[in-house]
Amino acid sequence: MRQRIGVYICHCGGNISDYVDVEELSKMFHKEDGVVVSKDVMFACADSNQKAMVEDIQQYNLDAIVVASCSPKLHLHTFRAVAGRAGLNPNNYVQVNIREQCSWPHSDRPREATVKAAGLIRAGINRVVYSEALDSIEIEVKKAAMVIGAGISGMKAAIDLARAGNEVYLVEKDYFVGGHIAQQEKLFMTGQSGKEIVKRLYDEMKSYKNITVFTGATVSKVTGSLGSFNIEVKVKPRFINGKMDKQSVKRVMDDCQVTVRDRFNEGLTTRKAIYKNYPEALPDVPVVDMEALRDHPDFLEKHKAVINPNEQEETIALLAGSVLVTTGFDNYEPKEGEFGYKNIPNVITLPQLNRLMELSPEKLVYNGKEIRSVAFIYCVGSRQKKGENKYCSRQCCTSTIYTALQLKEKYGKIQNYHLYRDIRTYGKQEILYDRASKQGDLFFKYEEKELPTVEMNGNAITLKVKDYLTNKKELEITPDLVVLVTGMVARADAPHISELFKIPIGNDKFFNEIHPKLKPVETVIKGVYIGGTCQGPKNVSEAVQSSLAGASKITALLKSGTVMGDPVVARIDADVCTWCGKCAEVCDYTAIRETITKAGKHIAGVNRSVCTGCGICAPVCPVNAIEVAKYTDHEIEAMIDGFAAEVEIREEDVSAVNEGKEDFVAAHMKEYPQIWKDILDTLDTEKKTIPEMVDTLNMAPEMVTWHLMTMNKYGVVSPAGTNDKEEYYYYKIK
Amino acid sequence: MTKVNPEFATELTKYGIGDFNACFNCGNCTATCSLSTSDSSFPREMIRYTTLGLEDEIRSSLKPWECYYCGECSRECPRKANPGELMMSLRRWLTAQYDWTGLSGLLYRSLTLTVTALLLVAAGVFLFARTVHFDAEALLHTGHRFEMLAIATVFLVIFIPNLFRMWYYTIVKNGVKAPVKRYLTTLSELFVQMFTQKRARDCDGKDNFRWLEHLVLVFAYLSLLFTTVFLNWFGTGSLFIIVLGYVESFLIFVITVHFVSGRIKRNKALNTFSQPSDWLFVIWLLLMGLTAFLVRLFIDLQILEANIWIHLIHLTVLAQWALIIVPFGKWTHFLYRSFGLYFVKIKTMQKPA
Repeated sequence: MRQRIGVYICHCGGNISDYVDVEELSKMFHKEDGVVVSKDVMFACADSNQKAMVEDIQQYNLDAIVVASCSPKLHLHTFRAVAGRAGLNPNNYVQVNIREQCSWPHSDRPREATVKAAGLIRAGINRVVYSEALDSIEIEVKKAAMVIGAGISGMKAAIDLARAGNEVYLVEKDYFVGGHIAQQEKLFMTGQSGKEIVKRLYDEMKSYKNITVFTGATVSKVTGSLGSFNIEVKVKPRFINGKMDKQSVKRVMDDCQVTVRDRFNEGLTTRKAIYKNYPEALPDVPVVDMEALRDHPDFLEKHKAVINPNEQEETIALLAGSVLVTTGFDNYEPKEGEFGYKNIPNVITLPQLNRLMELSPEKLVYNGKEIRSVAFIYCVGSRQKKGENKYCSRQCCTSTIYTALQLKEKYGKIQNYHLYRDIRTYGKQEILYDRASKQGDLFFKYEEKELPTVEMNGNAITLKVKDYLTNKKELEITPDLVVLVTGMVARADAPHISELFKIPIGNDKFFNEIHPKLKPVETVIKGVYIGGTCQGPKNVSEAVQSSLAGASKITALLKSGTVMGDPVVARIDADVCTWCGKCAEVCDYTAIRETITKAGKHIAGVNRSVCTGCGICAPVCPVNAIEVAKYTDHEIEAMIDGFAAEVEIREEDVSAVNEGKEDFVAAHMKEYPQIWKDILDTLDTEKKTIPEMVDTLNMAPEMVTWHLMTMNKYGVVSPAGTNDKEEYYYYKIK
Repeated sequence: MTKVNPEFATELTKYGIGDFNACFNCGNCTATCSLSTSDSSFPREMIRYTTLGLEDEIRSSLKPWECYYCGECSRECPRKANPGELMMSLRRWLTAQYDWTGLSGLLYRSLTLTVTALLLVAAGVFLFARTVHFDAEALLHTGHRFEMLAIATVFLVIFIPNLFRMWYYTIVKNGVKAPVKRYLTTLSELFVQMFTQKRARDCDGKDNFRWLEHLVLVFAYLSLLFTTVFLNWFGTGSLFIIVLGYVESFLIFVITVHFVSGRIKRNKALNTFSQPSDWLFVIWLLLMGLTAFLVRLFIDLQILEANIWIHLIHLTVLAQWALIIVPFGKWTHFLYRSFGLYFVKIKTMQKPA
């Protein structure tokens, strides 16, 4: 119990004092039990006042302070620091918001605003009485970070983390690094090759001794929390004898005749069962597709020196202080028959076209036919009003237009048709649209409710589109190739990652940050960050920006080796708790586990570095054994009592009759319900108009009107026709 | 179902317009055009049709004739796609479409061919003059006869079938069914538009002086035609007719000189992109006025016999005008525009089905 309290009520230069009588309030609270100092100050946050507060605390030996000013979002830390400087525990401080929650919204009713402010401040004083001197929770953090996914986002982040001196574990599911950009011959806007960037980043990573790259690796188990995540990584075998030199491996690759579908080329080609994604793929060690080769024992026998079919999956345990998830996206796979996909030859997706272009240096040929005209259908799998993917995939408009420019640049005379819903080549990318438009590409605008149709007419494709730019005329195009501009979707294994790390997933199935503007790379799980396209559709620069933001967050977090956690966490009363497990069930953060006390009693144990103090466990406890620090029942009840207590304000009556005279008016926070009761009483027997109620209640007409309208809004009363002269409405109890 | 044909855009560039692919369909051109209405909106629609190569739609449209090329759209175009010039090019393309001989199109597309044709006609005139031993009397007589014959032939053989084709494309093919009576009652529209360009006065930023010049030029030209053909200006003794002819040819000369200088200075949007057909039209009209004036002057000074060359030049200009520029060149715009607006009127009088 705090007994020597200092109260400071801020004028905020008129922002508060113009509507709330702060001087009167400061005098009033001077008489409050336990309050030693009560002052009104022009600007509580001013340096001079902060100094005065420190002096007060020391001179009067205060053990708690309350500042009634603006929102705690603005100055909670300011005044906590004041308390700290004066030798008080910062948690013996309560900030009361009488600006955003009182003077500003109630500027039209100063008297009521003052009454409300009095209630709020008294609630604050009552709360600070029960405040505890809590210490921040110190969590030790391992100076190591795990980055999951070695696409461009993951690699850039890994390099930044390593440069800052952290141990970095980069885990990649594929056997080769680079992700989607390795599949791009050229990236907009600079036209740089994706493979070149991958090589550059890989070489840079290799120059850091503190980066370990795991390829063919997946995360299988996660325990622990901020500061020490224990992560189990499974590394799939490559089935290649690591001792063999590159030449012998190459010979075996050349000898291999077994082919399988080439996933890297989006199924356009086949690849050997001993493969690299592309000749320069990194790390420079091929992989054996053992599934395909199991049926060829002769081949395996012949090359047993190089191929080791018995190599086993390896499990590695790693300890990381923090985790950055950069798992990326999947391309939307059109449904069979969606714009003729898979049913009509020469209907392919944009990622397929991009592969096709890289594989066709001279002429663009598909299905044995030279392509002279290409029609792009935009927004396939994006912006579906009724479908699953309601979002825009951001990068596809620009990507398509860039591809269209490349088509013309690379193959000469090619006519491009763009069937779009809206062109979103935002920002600097707009110049690409300009160039495409000027090179003679034709643009057609369709609406989702009238989708274009793709049909086969003999040997030719007929594309029909209702064009909103041509008076909604139905137009017919006969392109050689139809390209479906597919958007981004969350990875198929995103739910698995979400499960492991407890990262929330949004309606769009991508990972969710805490706040899109204020905490854009943080997740609700402390120490787990997201970057790149696993969070939602982004283009390459945006993806890298977000992963680098995550990397610097992690660097800051791991820098000192310890992290101070907020002491607002759940506490278990060991005497009362009987471990029913209900609290653990509802905890979103798996912060609660069964523990055994020294006395051998099974109770709930809270992992204080994981708990966020959300409080969901407290109300579900059947024996009321859980409370959240700073939000204890004592504090909350005391606040309610304080808010509802009677407030006596000396008020200056400015009406003409009583000008200059001062009068004491008793105000009460329960006043409003009393007025409502009075109104209800008068309406009890018969319906009444407002003037009739004014007469009966002997109250000001505007007061009756105001309260009656509020009661009407909340459905307490309702109108009941007009009076005979049709001048006023009757009201009755509803 | 309408088929998209991107090749058409390339074809149309031969009729004048350069790069209009920049258009992104914002519609500022239509918004700014003071002649465009919600029932009949242009030029955006025509640009769109052109980009997509919807030839049937363009051929059956009368909208290019509703535009007088004030240039406002090209000034306002945020993409510099030059809609005004596109409308002009479409008018040229349309005249080629209406022309059953196909010569219009050939001459528009090829300057070489145009020059060759002009030279051939000049050679023809010279050869003919030689057969009559450059006899002034005979030449004057033949010149007069030729004029009458040429007018009748061009009208019967070229204009009437071409107007019929225009009517077929724009009225019949559009499914407009109008009773004969309506064609008669609306006839006033045809003549008002033909002689006064009344509609051009609705253009914003209208240039009343230019309109007046144009009006005077039309009347001067038509009346000079009348004076030479039916009043036999070069053969008459009537002082009134002689003076009338002088005034008319002088007016033609003055106004065309002003027009030519405008095209050289490119002082208006209309004058910015002059095609060979534009130059030919205005220069030959100038030469017509000038040489006719000089011929009559030489007659009055009684020096024509000694200077028969001036009449020879006049005859050449006249023959080139009557055989090339009038039937296949820009002169036809005068005719088609009037009929275009006449057909628009007939079309709009049709109650919607």
